[in-house]
Amino acid sequence: MIAKILPKHALQNWIETLREHYRIIGPKLAQSQFIFGDIHSADELDLSYPTTILPPKKVLLPQREDLFHFDATGDTHIVEPTFDDEPTVILGIHACDMHSITLLDRVFERGTADQHYQTRRENTTLVSLECIKSCSEYSFCKSMGTLSIPEDFDLHITDLGDEYLLEIGSNKGVSLLWNFNEVREATDADFERLNKVMSEKWSHFTYRVDFDITELPALLSLSYDSKVWEELGDRCLACGACNIVCPTCYCFDVRDEVDFSLCSGGRFRVWDSCQLDRFAVVAGGHDFRDARAARQRHRFFRKGKYLTEKYGVVGCVGCGRCAQACLVHISPVDIFNELHRRRVPSAATQEEILA
Amino acid sequence: MNTGRQMTLEAPSIYQPIMLSILEITSMTEMEKVFTIELPFPTSLEHRPGQFVQVSVLGVGEAPISISSSPSRSKSSFELCVRRAGALTNALHALNPGDVVGVRGPFGRGFPIERFRGKDILFAPGGLGLAPLRSVINEVLDDRSNYGRIIILYGAGQPVEMLFQDELQEWAMREDVELHLTVDKPDKKWKGNVGVITTLFSDIQVSPRNTVAITCGPPVMYRFVLMELLGMGLPEGNIWLSLERRMKCGVGKCGHCQMDHMYVCQDGPAFSYAEIRHLEEAL
Amino acid sequence: MSSTKPKIAFFDFAGCEGCQLTVLDSLQTHTELLNAVEIVQFREAMSERNDDYQIALVEGSYTRPSDEVRLQAIRDQAQIVITLGACAHLGGVNAVRNAHRLEEIKRYVYGEKAEVYEAASARPISDFIQVDAFIPGCPIDREEFVRAVKSLLQGNLPDIPDYPVCVECKLRETGCVFLYGKTCLGPITRAGCGAICPSFGVGCEGCRGLIPNPNMASLREVLSENGLDEMRVKAKMSLFLTNQIATSDMEA
Repeated sequence: MIAKILPKHALQNWIETLREHYRIIGPKLAQSQFIFGDIHSADELDLSYPTTILPPKKVLLPQREDLFHFDATGDTHIVEPTFDDEPTVILGIHACDMHSITLLDRVFERGTADQHYQTRRENTTLVSLECIKSCSEYSFCKSMGTLSIPEDFDLHITDLGDEYLLEIGSNKGVSLLWNFNEVREATDADFERLNKVMSEKWSHFTYRVDFDITELPALLSLSYDSKVWEELGDRCLACGACNIVCPTCYCFDVRDEVDFSLCSGGRFRVWDSCQLDRFAVVAGGHDFRDARAARQRHRFFRKGKYLTEKYGVVGCVGCGRCAQACLVHISPVDIFNELHRRRVPSAATQEEILA
Repeated sequence: MNTGRQMTLEAPSIYQPIMLSILEITSMTEMEKVFTIELPFPTSLEHRPGQFVQVSVLGVGEAPISISSSPSRSKSSFELCVRRAGALTNALHALNPGDVVGVRGPFGRGFPIERFRGKDILFAPGGLGLAPLRSVINEVLDDRSNYGRIIILYGAGQPVEMLFQDELQEWAMREDVELHLTVDKPDKKWKGNVGVITTLFSDIQVSPRNTVAITCGPPVMYRFVLMELLGMGLPEGNIWLSLERRMKCGVGKCGHCQMDHMYVCQDGPAFSYAEIRHLEEAL
Repeated sequence: MSSTKPKIAFFDFAGCEGCQLTVLDSLQTHTELLNAVEIVQFREAMSERNDDYQIALVEGSYTRPSDEVRLQAIRDQAQIVITLGACAHLGGVNAVRNAHRLEEIKRYVYGEKAEVYEAASARPISDFIQVDAFIPGCPIDREEFVRAVKSLLQGNLPDIPDYPVCVECKLRETGCVFLYGKTCLGPITRAGCGAICPSFGVGCEGCRGLIPNPNMASLREVLSENGLDEMRVKAKMSLFLTNQIATSDMEA
């Protein structure tokens, strides 16, 4: 493994060096919560951050993204697609969010590739961060198997106390340290420190889901007609917050805007939510998923089954953002456990059977 | 295998429409117009019957519209039958021949008509459902000798709401097409059947195992038509439907057309009943 | 698209005229508006008056029986009637008075002269004439107004969001005001304002009206869980939503 050591006091200089070539996005405080935003100096960056309101997905798939501009004022209609290729570094991505990017990469690559996402992705360097302690009371990454960083990081940071250990995962990662001489090669002693951090971290996280998560798709299959969905439908405000804050939600709406000539303008996409009224409505007004219960079921089936089966990775990365955002306390952990409880005979009953 | 993606695959962005001229606009009814869109050489559509395109009016938006002309008749132009039902279709209806629309596609899986060769085909479109089925009907009629009986049961609200009336007359004249029409509300001149589309089924006898049925219509229609077809003894795999959803992307990303685990824009819009029977969100 | 500019007239009923001010404001920030339409009547901004118009923009709520005659005349003339702001759309803050007996209110406001003045309960314009579209809010959102005019120029009615404010709050990463011990009607209120109130730390008061299918029972529980007693819930929901929330639901 190639690794470097960056003293914490050199972080500011590193960021300054990077800023010559990249837009830097990282976790920072906004009002009283954390968000991924532009980082201008090391003071703004807080690598000990709890979870952010929105995931770093917003850098790769912005809330609002121009697809093309058009100009039909002349005889020929000009349609000019827009791509964002600004070299960008996302600093300090938690493991859960890294797993979600793995999923998004597959979604936007497979079948018909989405050039807008891909352009941004190709020009983005991912610097992940080793999660050493649980970042939020709502997170359940350990249960989802997303506490270990996936392999597609470019650079991976582990906090060793007074220094950061930087693991290099790709040439993009190498580029970030190019011409920066305040890092040194990691020594055996550094790796020993790394091993210590790694071995100690697991106990700081708890398993919150009561069953092996690989059983989730099967459990959901058996729970399609569960009463749980009706109960959720009664509670759910259908506010859409769960979708908007989710790192693996990527549904979008497409809209046009024009200037007053009505002949020139643009088309853009915005994040959408399957919990909202218009999502599955067709031209005649028929809504193919009109009940809140069915919408909640769809959401959990996407997270726990459909995405997993289609893309081969987990569809819920256990970040806990949806549970935190939900005013009526709908939490994937509770739902998964409740579905499991209703499917599996209680322990007492099993003992009775065995007796 | 679907090869018909020429236009969109060549674009730098999958969301970028190519701009095509409207050759001709024919008013069908008060609500529906047929747009003939020019395909200037070397642009090709290469669609399969049952596929759809995403149609744009720049500045207003985009909507999925099924291709109404058969591949056999879409060499230098193709046809879209559009009902005025929202902002985009309003804007389309306000256009004139010579105006330009944006087109992406074709998208989706059409009907696997080569698998229907040698069989009798029963078409059961209701209302605007004739628009996508007309593509299949004409494709089959242009290769007539390869198919058995062609039965068309078409239902509309009123006689004036019947689409493609010239073609309905042509089909009525043909000895090798069995056409049965019905309307819910007849006018004074109407001499045919009155009632919903299912009232036509009692007029026909089919040999169930050798018949493929293709139906398309408003959401409420499917349940009743399916009951008739299954009642006639057609195997579930021989019953085909075209499903409507409001796709925003056409390429399986935007999520709007998802029903259970399936994407109508990719896995359909043509489905056999066997494929969707278990999906609660399909019909 | 027609080559002649559509003729637009503004009308005011009971309201603070803040929505008309927002229109004036948008004319300054989007001067192209003045080239795109012909304004034939706009008391707030000009003295000329012409009754030859196609689009009527109506601000303010119905508050007295004689309003009905004026509204009918507007409907007879205009091809398209669009309400401007919460008063015209919902009855607005004016409808707070609907919870009390009209005679009591009149005496409270006008004292001795109560009998001289005409009054009725404050109602949305759509209770009296057919309204083709509404631009919600107190006041209206300037950008939404401009978009609405563009839609009209394109031959379409304005497309007003029907998802709740929470969506916009989350999109702009505003911290949820419930986390700061405040309450908010965002989950049941129509978005389009860019969640401007929560972005300043103030809970949504519902000025843009309810979304089409609000989960009222569930929101009530949320409000109560966050410390609002029944009376305060009722007060919160009657600032803008009096006419949208049925009396029975109000007391539920």
